[in-house]
Amino acid sequence: MIPELGHIILITFLVVSFVGGFLPLASVYFNNQTLDIPIKRLTFFLFFLIFSSFLILVYSFLVDDFSVAYVAQNSNINLPFYYKFAATWGAHEGSLLLWILAMNAWLFSFMYLAKSPDKNFMKVVFSISCQVMFAFALFTLLTSNPFERILPIPPLNGSDLNPSLQDIAFTVHPPLLYFGYSGLLIPFAIAVSAMLFNTNTKEWAAYSRPWTLLSCAFLTLGIALGSWWAYYELGWGGWWFWDPVENAAFVPWLLSVALFHSLIASESRGVFGKWSILLSIFAFATSLLGTFLVRSGILTSVHAFALDPERGVFILGILGFFVIGSLLIYSLKDFTSNEVKAYELSSKEFGFLLNNLLLVILAVSILFGTIFPLIYEAITDGKQISVGAPYFEIILFPFALALGLLQGMALYLSWGVTASFNFLQRLTLESISLFSLVLLVLFILFDNLYLSSFATIFLACWIMVGTLQISKKRNLSYWNFLKKRMAVTFAHLGMGILVLGVGVVTSYSLEKELILAPGDEFNFGDQTIKFKSLEDTQGPNYFSKLANINFEDKEDIKNVITEKRTYIPSGQLTTEAGIITEPFQDLYISMGDNLEADIWSFKVQIKPFIRWIWLGALLIAIGSMLSGIKRIQRS
Amino acid sequence: MKKLIDILPLFTFIILIGVLFSFLSNKNNQLETVLIDDTFPQFSLSSLKDSSETLTQYDIKKLPALINIWATWCIACRIEHPFLMKLKEESVLPIYGLNYKDNREKALELLERDGDPFEFSIYDFEGRLAIDLGVYGAPETFFIDSNGVIRERHVGVVDEDVWKKKFAKYLDE
Repeated sequence: MIPELGHIILITFLVVSFVGGFLPLASVYFNNQTLDIPIKRLTFFLFFLIFSSFLILVYSFLVDDFSVAYVAQNSNINLPFYYKFAATWGAHEGSLLLWILAMNAWLFSFMYLAKSPDKNFMKVVFSISCQVMFAFALFTLLTSNPFERILPIPPLNGSDLNPSLQDIAFTVHPPLLYFGYSGLLIPFAIAVSAMLFNTNTKEWAAYSRPWTLLSCAFLTLGIALGSWWAYYELGWGGWWFWDPVENAAFVPWLLSVALFHSLIASESRGVFGKWSILLSIFAFATSLLGTFLVRSGILTSVHAFALDPERGVFILGILGFFVIGSLLIYSLKDFTSNEVKAYELSSKEFGFLLNNLLLVILAVSILFGTIFPLIYEAITDGKQISVGAPYFEIILFPFALALGLLQGMALYLSWGVTASFNFLQRLTLESISLFSLVLLVLFILFDNLYLSSFATIFLACWIMVGTLQISKKRNLSYWNFLKKRMAVTFAHLGMGILVLGVGVVTSYSLEKELILAPGDEFNFGDQTIKFKSLEDTQGPNYFSKLANINFEDKEDIKNVITEKRTYIPSGQLTTEAGIITEPFQDLYISMGDNLEADIWSFKVQIKPFIRWIWLGALLIAIGSMLSGIKRIQRS
Repeated sequence: MKKLIDILPLFTFIILIGVLFSFLSNKNNQLETVLIDDTFPQFSLSSLKDSSETLTQYDIKKLPALINIWATWCIACRIEHPFLMKLKEESVLPIYGLNYKDNREKALELLERDGDPFEFSIYDFEGRLAIDLGVYGAPETFFIDSNGVIRERHVGVVDEDVWKKKFAKYLDE
């Protein structure tokens, strides 16, 4: 009965969101008070409905109700309870429900926290959001109902959650990512309302900015956690693979970053109004497009979702309806009354324009690279190719370089016109000093310098110096400055740290395939790797071969364990990498194949500075979150 | 001129949607046509019952036949199982099993308990043959005619209905 209750609640949600999707719109359009409904209370009601429905699905997982097909496919009696909980969003159906929940949470926060003086504006934002949620709910109910039952004979046990998803990072990675994607609904709805009401650019940009920043923060965290998860769980030791699903998250991230930068200029100076609207639409569109690419099965990826072309048509329909609709309004709209254009090439406005241009070029190229295999397959009649890291890296490098150079200078630019570029001299000098210092440290740590990494490392220094030394220009102490401009400092500094991590890890990494039997030793860099012993163990739902490894150098002996697990319900194998984290490097070992008896292949890697990548991402997320929260409080 | 730029995003996006839609319909056809009218792929895998016995495509001797992809972790396979048993009991046609990414002991236990509808089952732990067949998941069923050519493919549970609509006609040929 309980799953049916969840189903009924979801249907109720569908109906209520449908009503919410057009009644407030109609009341604004006809200026009719009788059509008025209390949108704040309705938001709360919608949230209550979707939350209950979600909780019921969680409950079905926790009590092992295998008569629910989704539970049977993604859980198992022996699964630890916290993974049962996380399995709720372990596959397509449940993650859609979570997505709707997330959209609702955003709408809820927006309705209660944002204070727009204009009631009608809020009504339209509410209606548009309801329409999107309605479409998602309809999609869920028609093609991917998580409450579908296997009756009359339910299976006795479930087929288990995909073992590589049974992991701590995974339990939080998808919710963060979905919150990031779905948060882009709010800027989208605001942009459409702004077009309909012909709202002043400064005004609507101020509504939109905090929510864009917050979704960007969630996207950053989600992507970084995904990257971290791939690093230690997939056993390859890489941190970014240019997998279609990663790209599908990266593209909206790039656009949301472009958007909130463009919104700064829109809010402060009333410029780029049209551009910000367009970006809001496309940021939202790419977040849906990503979903489409991943779940329709037209692209293959490590993220296995059940493939169903019918779902693809539906998502494409949703995407088409909302994006074509909003672009239609855009193309019919006359923006001339609302445009301000008064800035010089040397201005901060122009800096934002360049930043946006570069980010959008990056986004478009990555999107193109992601769907190019499909285009190729279509024109060559079925030949398959894959676009790999080389393409993306070639594209990324020049634009990222330009972006970084711009970022280092950006904070020194002034609105309208920048009086003097004297700061450049000092910035260059100080960056070179920091650069030399970093190289010295690298040389001491690794006895080696790689020319190939110089550009990236210099860029990192440039960004960091540019971010921190701005305090001097303002004649403030570091501390006072940091207090005032904490958000932007964190975010920009985070970018510098991330770039530094990338620069070092791509040039200084070592890796080697080894074949070892227990007792064997191997010299690798300044480390001696010792395969001490091999044991058999068992977990709640897997058995495992466990290799005990020592990394020994002159000073000290570090012990680490790497595992090959066989999950019992599905028979699927996973590798648990053994990682020793030091401030400047990770020692990484993962078990490969069992060659004969006790002889195994291993992959060892030394990954210097890899943690700095995620540390940087974390700072970026904290920075944008701080900025978003500050702006909500202020309003 | 100014207006043209305003319409450009809309125009671009409509083209993108159109292109994606055409990919999607392509994909739909592909699912149906993969390996259809092709001979059964070569393989060399162990038998489920006896890990030392190697099976190849030449062991699929009794034709026409069904190849059924199954696993113990596949819930839908259990729903399908009684129907396969019925086909066997009524000697409609021989069925060969492809045990897919499964645990050997568990799979044998299941056949012991619920009955074994298969002439034999190929044990495909790594899913090699399944990749060659373009298998999406379990259950999936292929019809092979008397010349060893794959004629039909069904993704999902085979029951009375599916049998009549998709497979029975080939047996009459």
